Amino acid sequence: MVIDSQPRQALVRRVTGLARSTPGRLSLIAVVLVLASLASGSLATWSVNRQEQALQDLATRSEPLAHAAQEVYRSLQDADATAASAFLSGGLEPTQLRERYEADIAQAQAALSVATASSPDLTATLAAQLPVYTGLIETARTNNRQGFPVGAAYLREASGLMRTQLLPAAQELYRAETDRVARAQDEAGFPVAPVLVALAFVIGLVLTQRYLTRKTNRLLNIGLLVATSAAVVSLLWVTTVSVLVMRDVADSRTASAKVDVLAQARIATLTARGDETLTLVARGAGQAYEKSFVEVSQRLEGQLEQAKRLDDTEAVDQAMRHFRQWQQVHQRIREADDAGQYNDAVNLIDNPYFDSLDSDLVRAIGQARQDFSDEVAVARASLAGTVVGVLVLAVISAAGSTMGLWQRLKEYR
Amino acid sequence: MRRLALVSVALISACSAGPAPSEIVPRTAGAPQPAGASTVTSAPSSTTGPAPSCDATASLRPGALPAAGQMPAGSTMERILKRGRLIAGVDQNSYLMGFRNSFTGELEGFDVDVARQITKAVFGDEKKVQFKVVTSAERIPMLQRGEVDLVVRTMTITCDRLKDVEFSSVYYQAGQRVLVRRNSGIAGVDGLKDRKVCVAAGSTSLNNVVSRVKTTVSVPNWTDCLVMLQQGQTDAISTDDTILAGLAAQDPYTEVVGARFTEEPYGVGIPKGQEDLVRFVNGVLERMRADGTWGAIYRRWLNTLGPAPAPPVARYRD
Repeated sequence: MVIDSQPRQALVRRVTGLARSTPGRLSLIAVVLVLASLASGSLATWSVNRQEQALQDLATRSEPLAHAAQEVYRSLQDADATAASAFLSGGLEPTQLRERYEADIAQAQAALSVATASSPDLTATLAAQLPVYTGLIETARTNNRQGFPVGAAYLREASGLMRTQLLPAAQELYRAETDRVARAQDEAGFPVAPVLVALAFVIGLVLTQRYLTRKTNRLLNIGLLVATSAAVVSLLWVTTVSVLVMRDVADSRTASAKVDVLAQARIATLTARGDETLTLVARGAGQAYEKSFVEVSQRLEGQLEQAKRLDDTEAVDQAMRHFRQWQQVHQRIREADDAGQYNDAVNLIDNPYFDSLDSDLVRAIGQARQDFSDEVAVARASLAGTVVGVLVLAVISAAGSTMGLWQRLKEYR
Repeated sequence: MRRLALVSVALISACSAGPAPSEIVPRTAGAPQPAGASTVTSAPSSTTGPAPSCDATASLRPGALPAAGQMPAGSTMERILKRGRLIAGVDQNSYLMGFRNSFTGELEGFDVDVARQITKAVFGDEKKVQFKVVTSAERIPMLQRGEVDLVVRTMTITCDRLKDVEFSSVYYQAGQRVLVRRNSGIAGVDGLKDRKVCVAAGSTSLNNVVSRVKTTVSVPNWTDCLVMLQQGQTDAISTDDTILAGLAAQDPYTEVVGARFTEEPYGVGIPKGQEDLVRFVNGVLERMRADGTWGAIYRRWLNTLGPAPAPPVARYRD
């Protein structure tokens, strides 16, 4: 350290000595301007690059993962409701219900393996308990096939496992993935620091221009003019593109909010369906399920209205209509069951409105996800070429400043 | 040179040991339990005091049975007749006593047939019955709230329950025994002192067992107990032999062991104060004993318990 201090002091003396003479001062300014130009350029490049990364992450990772998590929840919920329906139907279970259950489990596994890659901790419970669940369902089926009421007890145990462990874990996973989407959207926000640095650089160039005019009495310096123009263009470019991206990202937030509401609505639909079925399975002892049906239906109605406010599409309208029809049929099911017409009630539950509502919601979710993907694509498109452009402009600025100051320096030789 | 290289390799490996090889640690998932399972440490508080003494099984003497479809004016039966259906609380989980036929979806069993006989006596048509499934714990509350006209669900007549509901005469004499896995080595209730036993919440079996065993688990339905037994979460199930026979019939690896250690007289539960309905139901039960219907129903469902005994003799306090 002691040895080092000598040369360092010498350097400081040289620089201050240089700053005392005009040519020395000009050379110093040239060096500072070139460095500032390159620094501002690379800062802008870095920030644009980061935005691009965040957008790419949104389109190819976060959103697909959030969708996978939502699919895990939905397919598990549907598997449970379907298993209960198949049990209720009596006799041999209907083939289409069995197929639906199998498709749900396959879908849950597939979605789970996608989600596991990014959140192994959150999927651990699901991975451990899903085989236990399917095992219980098969035991229930086997006993049911032999006419043993213990089959219903296995079904209840499976359903309890689903409600107390699997679904909460899936819910947690979904929350984690949607938070990740929100974070990626935040990262694509306005690059404040790079824009301020670019602005400071432009001001620096203008001040240099004024200094030279005062010292040399020449109005224009072509080199510095070119450098200033390039810096201003770069500043405007980055600012404009960032504003555009911000607007698109804001739109994509609306789209993800819509996907979220619709996804919640779909889950509520399936929960209500499960409750409706289990009320009949419990045969008079199902007040808790009916209470849950009423609560979930109210929530579902609110979610559908919210989706309608966010974006009034035809699919959402259809969903609302089918929801109301379903509620009316449910009323009749309850009346029949309460009046002792159990078989009528079981026949009524086999109506098309639930399936229609579900497919409406699938359609609406598909549209909202497409909107999201479109917004992100537009944002990415507006960033195209920015990195190269900003770099080229930074080099032009640096070259312009050097040339401009070199011309003046030559006059002192 | 070679030696030097070897020494340096040994030195390097000594001070820069790699991390231990990774291991896969399975997430331990506790075995699932039936929804609503809980451990019981003492009998429910309402029965901790000395049981009230009374002549529990003496019911009200029936008069002559009115003809089906012509119930006395102003009677409870007439109200049921006018409604067009009798609402009976039964079980759908007790194989052989009250259970859901998984092929037809209909409720069947000894208790269900008794309820149908009562329906037939009111309407002349045994199909005019609406079954409501009740859990053991819900039997008395459902009767008190008037949600069912009567309960036929392996319900033991006790002095305690007589404070809240009426009972018919005894229609079946059951007794508590023990169901275990065949190779368990448990021979009866005395072998349960240091074992875990499953019973249904709100049943008399719960009170009979809780002081005799180490741990008692209570669940909503008797089939939930069979699930726990099959999954190795309990060592035994203890309740009335009728219910145990139904459970054993669903799993050949289980057996009913030991002698009856309680007497469980079954009666039809009826809301408090409806004495006309009690006398009517007793009339129906008298007729079933006399004309062989009781024996036929027994043979239809409970033949696995042995040849049909004589129907329990009704006792009346007038």
